[in-house]
Amino acid sequence: MCDSCGCGDPHVVSFDVHERMLASNDRTAAHNREHFKDHGVVAVNLMGSPGAGKTAVLEATARALGREARLGVLAGDLATDNDATRIRAAGIVAESITTGSACHLDAEMVHRGLHRLSWRTLDYLFIENVGNLVCPAVYDLGQDVNVVALSVTEGEDKPLKYPTMFRKVDLVLLTKIDLLPQLPEISVDRIAENLRLVMARPTMLVVSARTGAGIDEWIAWLRGQGRPRLTACAGAAGAGAFV
Amino acid sequence: MHEYSLVQAMFDQIGDAVRANHALAVRRVHVRIGRLAGVEPDLFRTAYDVFRIKTFCSEAPLVIEDAAGDELLLERLELEVP
Repeated sequence: MCDSCGCGDPHVVSFDVHERMLASNDRTAAHNREHFKDHGVVAVNLMGSPGAGKTAVLEATARALGREARLGVLAGDLATDNDATRIRAAGIVAESITTGSACHLDAEMVHRGLHRLSWRTLDYLFIENVGNLVCPAVYDLGQDVNVVALSVTEGEDKPLKYPTMFRKVDLVLLTKIDLLPQLPEISVDRIAENLRLVMARPTMLVVSARTGAGIDEWIAWLRGQGRPRLTACAGAAGAGAFV
Repeated sequence: MHEYSLVQAMFDQIGDAVRANHALAVRRVHVRIGRLAGVEPDLFRTAYDVFRIKTFCSEAPLVIEDAAGDELLLERLELEVP
């Protein structure tokens, strides 16, 4: 008997589901996370707008950390293999996850991507998400940390326009700071101020993949996320321009 | 436009509930979408209207309940049973 809408129809029953719509994704993400934990891999979900400099950051990371730690990348890309090709050229293993028209990666896509990448021996797996500040924030992939690349050319108010994304991330990498002399209207302080309005624990590092500025601080932050076999490395406390 | 993939995931959940209850059809779908969920309710409704054509939900209105956090829940179904 329907007792919820009052129609009194004896053939209608109310059935409580009360389950997250992404419950199936969450289960796969938990499975991925278990894999990463078992093999001592730190998984980093790297998000950001198209053109924010995600791939360039990974190339700079390969140059700075590639000799002492084993790095790998799963690169989400709508239509090409370009990002993975660039990253492989920088000397680290990378595979593409071609999403077609999908605007984000989900846990199942990452799980399938893991089958094509020798990830078990890695220290760090970077999952370069599809360029987008909206949809990727909704999907757990099994990562340990969420990082967003925000370039100085995108303007100061992105944290306010995309609060769901910035609320979710553990670190903001403010990229392309070598361009600041050409952008007198952009204030790093105002970006930091906007982050403080949306992030629970505002953390930002300013970097330039081109000049290498701030990359040491980014590497120190990564080391601070390490699993036990990496704990000999220095922590990230006090490094860079934390806000 | 991840609203479409969310609706797709929700239809899998609804399908499970329909089979578990031996339901003939869904009469109403209740969801809860928080303001911080990163989901646009209007787009979600549009996606639902596209997906439900010729399914067990074809006659089922969607009721979206607002919330303050990041909730993204399939709350309740009204099912037509034999």
